Amino acid sequence: MRGSFVKPAPVNVKINLTPIIDVALVLVIILLITAPLVSAIDMDVSLPLALTRGAEDEARISLTLGKQGELAVDDKVIPFESLRTYLASELAKKNKDILVVIRADEGTPYEMVRQMLSEASAAGATRLSIATRQKPKGQS
Amino acid sequence: MLFKRKAGRAEDTIHEVNMVPLVDVSLVLVVILMLATPLALESSIAVRKSGASARRADARTKTERIELNIVSEDSVLVNRIQVRRAKLGMTLRPLLNESEFRQVVVVCAADVPHGAFVDVLDQAKMCGALDIAITGR
Repeated sequence: MRGSFVKPAPVNVKINLTPIIDVALVLVIILLITAPLVSAIDMDVSLPLALTRGAEDEARISLTLGKQGELAVDDKVIPFESLRTYLASELAKKNKDILVVIRADEGTPYEMVRQMLSEASAAGATRLSIATRQKPKGQS
Repeated sequence: MLFKRKAGRAEDTIHEVNMVPLVDVSLVLVVILMLATPLALESSIAVRKSGASARRADARTKTERIELNIVSEDSVLVNRIQVRRAKLGMTLRPLLNESEFRQVVVVCAADVPHGAFVDVLDQAKMCGALDIAITGR
């Protein structure tokens, strides 16, 4: 049996950690970047189109008015009656000068939006803006 | 030859390019773009809620402030002159060019859709309005 024994090649049993660390770090970066942006609730709202841009602070409080009249402050659904007190407490926690963005469906009657603006103003919000979707250039 | 390399030793070297991290990162970038695109397309128009200040502004001359009264989805009164919403810019731009403060006060009827209201704000901004004040009835 001379020369018949062949030593097997060493098997590489190490787990390749590089892709795992890679993806994990990228996910951390995504979360860091998107966390301040994704403050609004995921409600079915078709924002009105606009060509102009402005008031794009990262720190903001979003007031979202859904198609069925449901209201959310950032990601918390609240009844309309408690909007002023809830928003006032949020402004006290954060900053009085923080941007308050009104996100309402394009089909919503203006009266609802006006009430939201009035409540936000009464709660102490100093900077208000109306959320829009960017209209592609050339589209009238 | 003392230092002669043994035959077959070269087979241990990996010549293939490892595509796994490349595909990994590419897929993650696709996911980032899918998530970030709607956020990047969302913007807003800064407004000011002015009750008392707008009423005080009534005393000012017409060259200092321009009042837009959205009476219906298609019709806007620009300093009491009725114009179609689609043609608002043609009337508003010369007025804003003459205005010193480029301030616009917007009044809107309750039943006007939010989309039409925002369109008027957008047109005012495009015509050069620097300050948009919203006043309720």
